[in-house]
Amino acid sequence: MGGSIQQSAPLPESAGVVIIGAGISGCSIAREVSRYTDDVVILDKEPDVADETTKANNAEVHSGIGEKTGTLKQKLNVKGNRMYDEFVEGLGIVLKRQGLLIVITPRTLPDSITGWLPKRVVHWLLEKVVPRLVIRNGKKKGIPGQTILSREEIFEREPHVTRNAIAGVFDPTYGLVSPYKLAMALAENAIQNGAKLFLDTEVTDIKVEDGAVASVVTDRGEIRAPIVVNAAGVFSDKVADMAGAGGFEIHPRKGASLLFDRDITADYVHSSVAEFRMFHKGHSKGGGAMPTAEGNLQLGPTAIETGDRYDTSISAEEIEEIFERFYYLLPDFPRSAIISAFSGIRAPTAEEDFIIEASEKTRGFVNVAGIQSPGLAAAPAVAEMVIGILHGLGVPTTPRADFDPVRPTPPKFSELTEDERDVLIEDDPAFGHIICRCETVTEAEVVSAIHGTIPAKNMDMVKRRTRVGMGRCQGGFCGFRCAEIIARERGIPITEVTKDGGDSWVFAGETKHLLAAEATDEAEQ
Amino acid sequence: MIAKKKRTPQLAVIGGGPAGLGAALAASQAGLDDIVIVERDIELGGILPQCIHDGFGSKVFKEVLTGPQYAQRYIDEIEKTNIEVLLNTMVLGISPDRAITAVNSREGMIRIEPETVVLAMGCRERSRHQVFIPGYRPAGVITAGAAQRDINIEGLMPGRKIVILGSGDIGLIMARRFTLEGAHVEGVYEIMDHPGGLPRNIVQCCYDYDIPLRLSHTVTFIHGKKRVEGVTVAHVDEDLKALKDTERFIDCDTLVLSVGLIPENELSRHAGVEIDPVTAGPFVDERMETTVDGVFACGNVVNVFDLVDYVTRSSEVAGRGAAEYVLQGRKREAPVKVLPGRNVKYVVPQFVSDLGRDVDFYFRVEHPEKAVTARVLAGTSPVKSKKHKMVHPPEMLTASATVADIAEAAKAEGRKIDSLMVEVVDSGKQA
Repeated sequence: MGGSIQQSAPLPESAGVVIIGAGISGCSIAREVSRYTDDVVILDKEPDVADETTKANNAEVHSGIGEKTGTLKQKLNVKGNRMYDEFVEGLGIVLKRQGLLIVITPRTLPDSITGWLPKRVVHWLLEKVVPRLVIRNGKKKGIPGQTILSREEIFEREPHVTRNAIAGVFDPTYGLVSPYKLAMALAENAIQNGAKLFLDTEVTDIKVEDGAVASVVTDRGEIRAPIVVNAAGVFSDKVADMAGAGGFEIHPRKGASLLFDRDITADYVHSSVAEFRMFHKGHSKGGGAMPTAEGNLQLGPTAIETGDRYDTSISAEEIEEIFERFYYLLPDFPRSAIISAFSGIRAPTAEEDFIIEASEKTRGFVNVAGIQSPGLAAAPAVAEMVIGILHGLGVPTTPRADFDPVRPTPPKFSELTEDERDVLIEDDPAFGHIICRCETVTEAEVVSAIHGTIPAKNMDMVKRRTRVGMGRCQGGFCGFRCAEIIARERGIPITEVTKDGGDSWVFAGETKHLLAAEATDEAEQ
Repeated sequence: MIAKKKRTPQLAVIGGGPAGLGAALAASQAGLDDIVIVERDIELGGILPQCIHDGFGSKVFKEVLTGPQYAQRYIDEIEKTNIEVLLNTMVLGISPDRAITAVNSREGMIRIEPETVVLAMGCRERSRHQVFIPGYRPAGVITAGAAQRDINIEGLMPGRKIVILGSGDIGLIMARRFTLEGAHVEGVYEIMDHPGGLPRNIVQCCYDYDIPLRLSHTVTFIHGKKRVEGVTVAHVDEDLKALKDTERFIDCDTLVLSVGLIPENELSRHAGVEIDPVTAGPFVDERMETTVDGVFACGNVVNVFDLVDYVTRSSEVAGRGAAEYVLQGRKREAPVKVLPGRNVKYVVPQFVSDLGRDVDFYFRVEHPEKAVTARVLAGTSPVKSKKHKMVHPPEMLTASATVADIAEAAKAEGRKIDSLMVEVVDSGKQA
C-alpha cells in the first residue's frame, strides 16, 4: 500500500481529511489519523516538512511547570510529556530525559519585592521559601518527581552555574527531542501508512457549502474534502478566515537561539539549566541552557514581538540579550565556540492559549491554532485531542489492522560500531566516503536522504536529515560536495541546486560566463 | 568481510597539505622508511591546489611559485620515496596512546598504530555566526576559501555582486579573483583600523583593481530570506561597536567572509594534546612535539602562519623530530618556558625542552609599530635580535637562535636559563 510524496504530481480530486500545515502539530495529527484511515492528505507551502516554526524550536519537551494553571496548553503539556516515550517509539527518534535545573539566584525576586526587606530575610525567602513554592506549584500542575537542591548540590551537578546560585529545584521530566526530525518521522510514518504529502503547495482558499467545508483550493489545484484540519501555525488565522471559521488573530513572536560546538561543549551542562525569575515580564519562559540530543550546548530562546510573520532574522540586540542573560547564569560559557544562531516565529493568539476545536461556524473545519511553546511537548496530547474531534466528524473509530507504527530508518554511520561500519562499506563503498567532516556523515547517507520517503531536494533538506553542514565549519568544507551529490542524484545541473528552494540559488553559473556576457554586451554596443 | 591489516608504521602523518608533505619528507630524509600519510581529500596539497595566484616559495625556494607549483614540488619528491599515501581517507579518532582509526571506501575501517604521529590537519575558516553577523540566513553567505575552491577548482561562480568582509589575505585575493571573473566587488570591509592581510596583497589585489578597502567598518545585517539581497554596513567606534547613524545598505547577492582561520584541533584534543588558548593550537617545544610524548604538530594546526614557507619549515622540524624520536628515543628534560614580552601576542614554540639545539621562534606583534627591534632574551641576556622598519600583526616574525647563540647568552647570564622571552622594543630606546 504505502502513501506517497508527490511534489509534481497533481493533487487528488478528493480526500477524507485534509491537514493544512506540516509542522509538528500537523505531522502529529497526520500520523494519528493514519492509524484509522489512509484517506488523508497533508499540504504545506514550504519545500519541506517542519520548515518554519518547528525547525527553529529549541527542542525542549517541557514538563508544564511554566504554564498558567487552567489553560489548555498547560493541561496538554503535562499530558503530552507523559505520553512522549510511547509517542516516539518505533519512529527512530531519540528522546533524552535530561531534566531541568531551575536555579534560584538573587535576581529571582524582583527589586520591587526585595528592595525594602532586610538582606537576611531575602536570602531566607530565596533559599527556603521559593523552592518550596516551585515544588508546590509543580504538584498542583501534576508534575511528578521534583526535588529541592542545595547550592552545593547544584554545583555538583552543574559546575558551571553561577556562584550566585542560592538554591535549586530539579524537574526530572524535562526532555529533549529534535523537533524537525520528529515532525519528519511522524510525516514519514503517516506516508508509509497511506497518507499523501504535498509540499510547495499553498492553500489560497477554502470553499464552504451550506455551512460545511467543501474543498481546499491551492496554487496547484483543488481537493474536495469533508474534513479540514487547520494546523497552519503562524498563518492559522488567515486559513481559518478563508473557511469563515476565524475570529482570532496570530501575533507573531520571534525567538532566537545560539548553538555551540559540541566538541567543546559536550559536557558543559548535563541537564537543561534555567534561572528562575519570578514576576518577570515577557511571554517566554525565559529560555535556558540545554544540551541538544547531539551534545551541542544551546542557549535561548528570546521572545520579541514582531509584526512580520516571515521575520526569521536575528538582531544584534537579541544576541546581546542572550549573552547578558547567560553571562549571569553561566559566567564562563564558551562564547568563542558558537557555531550557529537561528530564530523562528511563534504563533500565539491574544489569549496566549491553544485553540483546538471543531468550528461552530463551519462544519467539518477544525482549528489547531495558537500553538506555540509548549507545542512540541504537547504534540502527542494535541494529536490525541484532535483525533477525538475527528472521530466525532466521521473519521473511523476502529484502528486499522494494517497500521504499521514502525518507521524504517537508514543507518547512521556516526552511531555504528566499527564492525557494523565495515559490513556497510563492503556492501556500499559510499559508506566509506565521509562528506561532512565535522559531523561524520557519509556519501551513502546523503544519497539515502535524497531518495528518502520525503526526498531531500535542496541543501537544507539534506542538512536536516543527515547533519551535513551542521557542524563547526558550517558547510565551508562540505557545501560543494553536498551540492554535487544532489545534482548527480537528481539529474540536474549543479547551478540548479538551491539552499532551501525558491530563489535560494547557490551558484550563479560557470566561471567565465560573466566575462562572456560582458563581451556580448560590448559587442552589441 | 574485508581482510583487515593493521598498519604499524614508524610515523603516521595526519593531513597531506604542505605541512604533512614537509614533515613526511623530512622524516624520510632523516632515516624513517615506514611512513604513512593520511589525507581526507582526493589529492595531496591541502589548500594549495586552489591557490592559483603566485607568491609562494620566496623563502624556501627563493623563487615565486603558484600554490599548485609549490605543492607539486613536494608531491614529486614524495613519489620518489616509499611513503604510503592514503587518499580519500578520513581519520575519525586518535587515542592518547596514538592508535588511529580511519575510514575509506576501499578498505573500510582502518587501524594505524604508529610509533609516532605528526598532526598536520591545517585550519578552517571562521564562519558567519562566529563573528556574530545579525540578519537572515540566506544562500550567498560564503567563506573566502570556499569561494576560491568553487571558482578555481570547480569552475563555478558563487555570486555576481560581491561584498567582502574581512581583509585577511584570502579575502583580498578573492576580491581580485572575483573581479577577474567579471563579478562586481563593491568593496572590502575591515572592522579593525588596520588591514588583516599582507601589504603586498592590499596593493596587488585591491588598489590595482580600484576596489575600495574600508577600514573600521563592519556588516551589521544580512538581508534576504532566500538569497542575499544586500547587506547593511556601518562604521565602528574604537571599541569596535557599530555606529547606528553611519549604517548604509549595499545591494549585493553575495557576502564573502574572510574573518579568520581556526586551527583544526579536534583530533589533537582526542589524543589528549593540550591546546594553547592564544594560538588555538597545541603547545609545542622546539621540535614541534606536543605535550603528549611522540605526538608532533606542525603548520597551521599549531598557529595560522602567513606564509606557506614557514609552514614547510615548521613541518621539517616536526618531521626530523619524529624521526629522532623513533630512531634515538629521547627523554624530555624540564622544559623552559618561552614567554611573550612587550608587543608580542604569542610565540611558537611555547617551550623549549632542550637548550642544546637550534630553535626557530615564530611570533606576532599585538599592534603595528615602526622602527623596532625584535629580540629573544634568556633571563636578561640577549640571544638574538633583529631590527624591523615596520611590524604588523598579520605578519609572522621569526628569529633563529643557534646552539652557540643560546650558549653565549647562558654564559652572560652566569646561571642556568630558566625562561626565555621574545619582545619587540623601540629601536632607539633599547639598551
